[in-house]
Amino acid sequence: MAITPIIDRCRARLEDVQFGSVREWKARHPGGKAVGCFPVYTPVEIIHATGMLPVGLFGGGNTIELANADARFQSFVCSIAKSTLEMGFQNRLKLLDGVVFSSICDVARNLSSVMARNFPELHVDYIHHAQNMTSPSAVDYMESEFGRVQRSMEKLAGQPVSQETLAASLKMYNRIREILRHLYRVRRDSPHMISTVELYILIRSGTLVPPEEHLQELQQVLELLPARQGRPKDRVRVVIESAFCEQPPLELLQVVEEAGCYIVDDDLLTGWRWYIEDVPEEMPPLRALAESYIKRSVYSSVRHDGPRSRTAGLVEKVRRADGQAVIFMPAKFCEPALFDYPLFRLALEKANIPHLVIEFEEKMWTFERTRNELETFVESMLFD
Amino acid sequence: MIFGGGVDVGSTQTKAIILSDRREIVGRALIGTGANVIKAAENTFVKALEDARLSREAVGYVVGTGYGRYKVTFGDAQITEITCHAKGAQFLFPGTRTVIDMGGQDTKAIKIGSAGEVLDFCMNDKCAAGTGRFMQAAAECMGLSLDEIGPISLKGQTPVRLTSVCTVFVESDILSYVAQKKRPEDILAGVHKAIATRTISLVRRVGIEDEITFTGGVARNVGMVEALQSTLGRKLNVSPEAHFNGALGAAFFALERAERLAAGQAAASLA
Amino acid sequence: MATAIKVDKDRKYQSEVNDYSKRILTEYFDQLARAAKTREPTGFLMISGNCVEILRTFGMHPVFPEVNALQLAIRKQSLPMILKAEQMGYSSDNCAYVKADIGMLMSGGYGPEGTIPYPSLVVCNYVGCNVYVKWFEHIAQFCGAPLFMLDIPFLREGDQPSQDDITYVVRQLQELIDTCSRITGRPFDIDRLREVLAFSARAEEGWSGAKALCKRKPAPFDAYFDSINMMGPINVLRGTREAAEFFDFAVEAFEALAAQRKGPLAEERFRTIVEGPPPYPYYRNFRNLFAAWGAVAVNSTYSTVGGLWEFGFRHDPRRPLESIAEQMLVENLTNRSLTARYQQIRRYVEEWEADALVIHSIKSCRLFSAGQGDMREYFTRELGVSTLLVESDLEDPRYYSEAQMKNRIDAFFEALDHRKFLQKA
Repeated sequence: MAITPIIDRCRARLEDVQFGSVREWKARHPGGKAVGCFPVYTPVEIIHATGMLPVGLFGGGNTIELANADARFQSFVCSIAKSTLEMGFQNRLKLLDGVVFSSICDVARNLSSVMARNFPELHVDYIHHAQNMTSPSAVDYMESEFGRVQRSMEKLAGQPVSQETLAASLKMYNRIREILRHLYRVRRDSPHMISTVELYILIRSGTLVPPEEHLQELQQVLELLPARQGRPKDRVRVVIESAFCEQPPLELLQVVEEAGCYIVDDDLLTGWRWYIEDVPEEMPPLRALAESYIKRSVYSSVRHDGPRSRTAGLVEKVRRADGQAVIFMPAKFCEPALFDYPLFRLALEKANIPHLVIEFEEKMWTFERTRNELETFVESMLFD
Repeated sequence: MIFGGGVDVGSTQTKAIILSDRREIVGRALIGTGANVIKAAENTFVKALEDARLSREAVGYVVGTGYGRYKVTFGDAQITEITCHAKGAQFLFPGTRTVIDMGGQDTKAIKIGSAGEVLDFCMNDKCAAGTGRFMQAAAECMGLSLDEIGPISLKGQTPVRLTSVCTVFVESDILSYVAQKKRPEDILAGVHKAIATRTISLVRRVGIEDEITFTGGVARNVGMVEALQSTLGRKLNVSPEAHFNGALGAAFFALERAERLAAGQAAASLA
Repeated sequence: MATAIKVDKDRKYQSEVNDYSKRILTEYFDQLARAAKTREPTGFLMISGNCVEILRTFGMHPVFPEVNALQLAIRKQSLPMILKAEQMGYSSDNCAYVKADIGMLMSGGYGPEGTIPYPSLVVCNYVGCNVYVKWFEHIAQFCGAPLFMLDIPFLREGDQPSQDDITYVVRQLQELIDTCSRITGRPFDIDRLREVLAFSARAEEGWSGAKALCKRKPAPFDAYFDSINMMGPINVLRGTREAAEFFDFAVEAFEALAAQRKGPLAEERFRTIVEGPPPYPYYRNFRNLFAAWGAVAVNSTYSTVGGLWEFGFRHDPRRPLESIAEQMLVENLTNRSLTARYQQIRRYVEEWEADALVIHSIKSCRLFSAGQGDMREYFTRELGVSTLLVESDLEDPRYYSEAQMKNRIDAFFEALDHRKFLQKA
């Protein structure tokens, strides 16, 4: 079996606006509950341990018309907030029993309130992730917060979770993490072997099925990868930054690749790729997660820096991936991304790394303008 | 006989209506506003008087409305066009409970009570999308007139999707569809549909309740009427006097006051 | 039907209380300008749920970048600063408060040549507003100053914080105290903190007493515009004797007005609750638009960003760190959810007997504005409270259109008046 059919299957799952795979899971597990996870960042291990299915919630993309949400949120608010609310109004979230939000930004937080008020049957939780990354009390706090989330999820699931089950979930997701790290290394070292669009489809569609299935699919792809034919092409190696919450349409990523780029690293789907190393398995699970959150996670625009700043992190990321340029791809009106740009820009200028800014909306549908900008940029890089 | 006059000074056009105490329109006029707003108000009123074959003194009270309402220097009072549109719509269609007004530079949704009083309103005046200006831009870039685009859009079978209703981008979006050889009917149908969706969004903020009356300059666009009706799934009231709606409401308020004044004088003279 | 009365565009809303407030704030700004040259220790803080008392304990001058931004807007000097920041890459969709302040920093407004001292310590009190974090990260970076992140967990389950949240905050406060001690070279004096907190509590009592007076008819002052004028003393100067005495005076002055049944306008025709920050670049213009209708605000939400004092909470010298933690976790607007704000407003409408809710939605601030459409829906549809929603910005003058603003305000009060008239008939 080749990789492409797997990717095609994953793509179909991803593009199914009715969450077909989640419905199927619920049909197979009568009484089973599904919990939507707004993009950044949910400790899905906890949800999984209760027997519920964590489901990636990334907005309505370009498949939904905002008939109601526009009346509730202003025009200068990112599309994902409105499309998610709209999905609620159009009953497309009825199959979810709960939704988890967290401290991404002010809009996401207000959205959680508006959803809780308008959909009282939905179990809405909001996680306050630590912003103080250096306090000795930060890990204690995160442990207590994850404990609170656990209790909240237990309540929804209707059953308590044992330490053993939690540890097992952690282990499962560690195996997924390991493979993802490997695949990203492949992207970096041999980007012609698997495209960013393919990798993206794999990861994102994996948020719509149980991790066991996702793991299986990843392992299949891993096994088939070495057999793939391909020769490296003369492309510009770029890193994509700022696309951590509202996701760019697949077509846009395709346009970036077609315009002559290898995307050698990115922060796409950050919430599902939060830890840079495995979460320790020898510690009590919640403590391990809390510690990893503080010490072993990616830098992100959604929180305050730890000992190493975001700007240093970006430069490091570009160097590590042997990147030649950065493409900032913030969603329109994305406050955290837009605020980080001035400092990122200064750091990149200092490090002599060229960059391009492309704002997008998830509901984009034509890409002519963007293609032109990208091609011009690539040309300027190649003919330097 | 007692008469009331209403003058609606809009950004592009100024309209005047003279109403008799039999609640009948006896005179009307419409001219382009132009640069001299005070003159436009004056001229329109004079034209309406001519149309009614009345002298200025015959009109007991004049109300100015619209953005330029304070430029109606001969007016006895200024009332916002929201209040006037509500009244005008209720006058034309007494069962009206929701008014959708699409004018040259703004769109309004007004919820009204049985006496034509405003219960709630919502305006989109920050952005040109969905207003006469947007339609103008769309028409221009297709080389058509405003009057043509409505009927043509009705023939569309597969409306195109517009990514944004931003007036700044409508041109490039339309041109890209033209380059893709899409039929003009489908492009225009898409334009009307996009505006209808956005407008209905605005109306939802005040609540959609029958009967719904569509007023303002854009109400003359049959394509817009159809797009709104099909998006809403309901019929709209549209009057041939749609673009006079604001002036009509103003004239009505003027008439009421003229009648009160006359009654007061009559009472005083009896005392 | 009633119409708007003519208001002189230069009309002054002067009162003794406003003058007094202005005076003590001017003294504060002079102190800052001196500190800019002498390099006395300073601490940057955000207004929301702030712990100014801790800085005062160490004799650190508290500096509030928000106040800096606000002053620029009121003096109509914000636009060039905003443009400067935008040149550096700040987006047109970023909060204009930040852009104005950073623009000023970049134009030499900080330091010995300017009026704002450089920070010895940047205390980022993260009390709900995510923009604060970015703002302070940038200031710390550009000034080369240390940043202390004071992470206040959002009030997310019920209306009380958990013990874990309180513990986390108290521990961080202790860490902050150690940091301040290190930076200033002064030991921590718990008695001094208690003294400062006692002054705070007295000011809070006064502020709360003043707000309660607006339940009278007519209200003795406008609880939006005049409360905003008093936000300086309650947020910036809180903990000082001056602020405590100011509020003693203010309450007396308002009580006298209330006894004479006098308000800020000749006639109080409409009582409003106002939600959201004001358009600072057009502050007086905006006020005039409401004054023309005899509309007086009897309470407001924006005035509670620093602290919610009208429902009984006071800083407690007997529980210094715990009460500071409580204030930051619960007793301010920004650390509470949007829907918690609906209930705050609802309480205001009912207890202060208001006729209408005015929502001023601003482009810069998503914490306040994102979702106000839903707020409007709740109040008009579910509670039947007449609600006006107007839009502009708190700092950027480009988003204010007087004609559009006036149109909406006039239409609203016309309709309100018309309905009142019909109800009586």
